[in-house]
Amino acid sequence: MSPAIRVHRLTRRHLIAVAAAAALGAVGAFRGLREPRAEEGLPGPPGEPGFDETYRGRRIQGEPATGAAVHGPGGWRVTVDGKPLGLMRRADGSYLSMLDHYQSYATPLAAARGAVDELGAHQTLSGRLH
Amino acid sequence: MVYTRRNQNTLSRAERRRFVDAVLRLKRRGEYDEFVRTHIDFYVSDGDDRLRVAHMTPTFLPWHRRFLLDFERALRRMDDGVTVPYWDWTKDRSPAASLWSEDLMGGNGRRSDRRVMTGPFARRNGWVVKEAVTDGDFLTRDLGRRSDPLELPTHRDVTWAMAETVYDVEPWDSTSRRGFRNRLEGWTEESGSARWRSHNRVHRWVGGHMLGGGSVNDPVFWLNHAFVDLLWSRWQRLHPDSAPYLPAKPPTLGDAQYRRIVARREAMPPWRTTPQDMLSHKTIYRYAE
Repeated sequence: MSPAIRVHRLTRRHLIAVAAAAALGAVGAFRGLREPRAEEGLPGPPGEPGFDETYRGRRIQGEPATGAAVHGPGGWRVTVDGKPLGLMRRADGSYLSMLDHYQSYATPLAAARGAVDELGAHQTLSGRLH
Repeated sequence: MVYTRRNQNTLSRAERRRFVDAVLRLKRRGEYDEFVRTHIDFYVSDGDDRLRVAHMTPTFLPWHRRFLLDFERALRRMDDGVTVPYWDWTKDRSPAASLWSEDLMGGNGRRSDRRVMTGPFARRNGWVVKEAVTDGDFLTRDLGRRSDPLELPTHRDVTWAMAETVYDVEPWDSTSRRGFRNRLEGWTEESGSARWRSHNRVHRWVGGHMLGGGSVNDPVFWLNHAFVDLLWSRWQRLHPDSAPYLPAKPPTLGDAQYRRIVARREAMPPWRTTPQDMLSHKTIYRYAE
């Protein structure tokens, strides 16, 4: 059975804004959409502009981030029900979460959904990143 | 005096109890959780531009050998007759194996929240998880991943790793296509449950805490790594003409792995120990095979 996914209105507006900006060639003007760590020659752009959705009853949110806002070394700030989820980047460009070091995902969104699957119905994140 | 690490399935009832008691004593003293923290702190992924010594790296084997030695030294301060047993998962492959009995590792987690309910490491029997990325203070397991079952690694996985004549190859990470280290660690380019081999697949099969940053919270961590350590020894015996560790020299400036991996005679944090120091254990312990 595939879990219900609901994208919040805010996110939909955000996506439209991003699409419009891309059409104008002005993506770079949006702070926070900068390719994380590109200056360090690490694997390429995150490929999507952030997310905010309810997946299996949990709210998952994520956006590219730099500096102190980053949750883990993956270049993203991701939360599940408001609690930070540490993401790490693999050499092939995929993402791992602190909940599961052995399954890699193509995107931070997929990694966040995978973390929710692993949490199941009865567990929550402690807020500890590492 | 050289001591012996034994297959867990050969331990007598009294030997099982002594091992478990020594682990519980370390836990009560707070020392056990220091090992949990160290392992969490040193999990650095290979897309991260800094030194990684524990996983996805040539030092995966010598780093964990030293980590096990520290743990075993602590255990032997509690009881000098105890050593870390190993779990040969090519043979003891079922949740019904004696490994998971109440006097050793205890059983599977219950379905609802994966909480381990039996044995010395159940919350109700006093084992409290303190260092974890989830909020529950109880140990969790999901043996065989009940929602989407998979098997433990097989003898074929081990043979596939053992057949490699080179210890490790560039780019010295989880994407290395050849080399004993990456094959035993268990990273592949495959999809579905075929993606996990040997060491990684055992972590996936046990599930719960063993999957993530807090894997040391489950004492079966040590039994898995003792077997991985035994397999490294066996590989050295099978390939006496192969370099026992690579790289011999650190990558130079301009190399993608510059300052991110440890060469044969460089220190592995948090210790001053080098891979060279860990190439032979014969003056410290042996394996009963």
